[in-house]
Amino acid sequence: MADEFERFLASAIAPPDRLPDRRFVARVQARILLDEQLARERRALMAALGRQIVALAAVAAGIWVIARAAPVADVFAQSPAVALAILLVAFSFVVAMFSRSGPQAAV
Amino acid sequence: MLVEKYEAPLRSFLLRAVGAEGADDIAQEAFLKAWRASKQYDGRARYATWLTRIAWNCRLDALRRDRRASEFPPEEAGSAPVAAEVADMLSRLSEKERAALVLCEGHGWTHGEAAELLSLPLGTLKSTVSRAKAKCRAMWEGPDHG
Repeated sequence: MADEFERFLASAIAPPDRLPDRRFVARVQARILLDEQLARERRALMAALGRQIVALAAVAAGIWVIARAAPVADVFAQSPAVALAILLVAFSFVVAMFSRSGPQAAV
Repeated sequence: MLVEKYEAPLRSFLLRAVGAEGADDIAQEAFLKAWRASKQYDGRARYATWLTRIAWNCRLDALRRDRRASEFPPEEAGSAPVAAEVADMLSRLSEKERAALVLCEGHGWTHGEAAELLSLPLGTLKSTVSRAKAKCRAMWEGPDHG
């Protein structure tokens, strides 16, 4: 049977019987909400990045296929400057397209 | 919400076991980690046990980050003399002794639960609790106590 000391000790170190600490609860909830929001933004950024990589790969593949077509390949072989200009225009178009649907838009 | 239900016992345990300094930060971190890992809770242990284990791991991580924190900062005693007396007693125990004593004698944990949390064999945990209790009793029955 518990003696006086054991009763004293048990009651002294028992968890307090009180209402929840509103300030602490609010702080934790705010952190959880922030964490949730950051996770959402992270997911959106990753999804946007994935879409952009796929789009870039598709554009690169398209350019490669077009460049291999005989008439185009002949033009490129005869005037590399034209080929370079076309590539630059295509690149500018891709950059403009990505900057319109960039991370800000995704979030 | 779970935070409302478990904040008092968790913070009380941390306050006793690791001291006032950092107890709330650890509790907050533990709730956040528990929320992130909520899908991993399988219900085999009590939620309080699972949450306290997360908090204890946060504490161990903090200790690893900052070895200087191993010194027990005296708990703010508040106004009650009993609280000051208990805080003084606990401050003379090792951290594992404090944690084992508070969980088993104050929070009603089984020895098995506490042993698992503190990564101690069951027998060692039992002797740790007994030793901690004996030390507290000796202080309580000491000359100052009358």
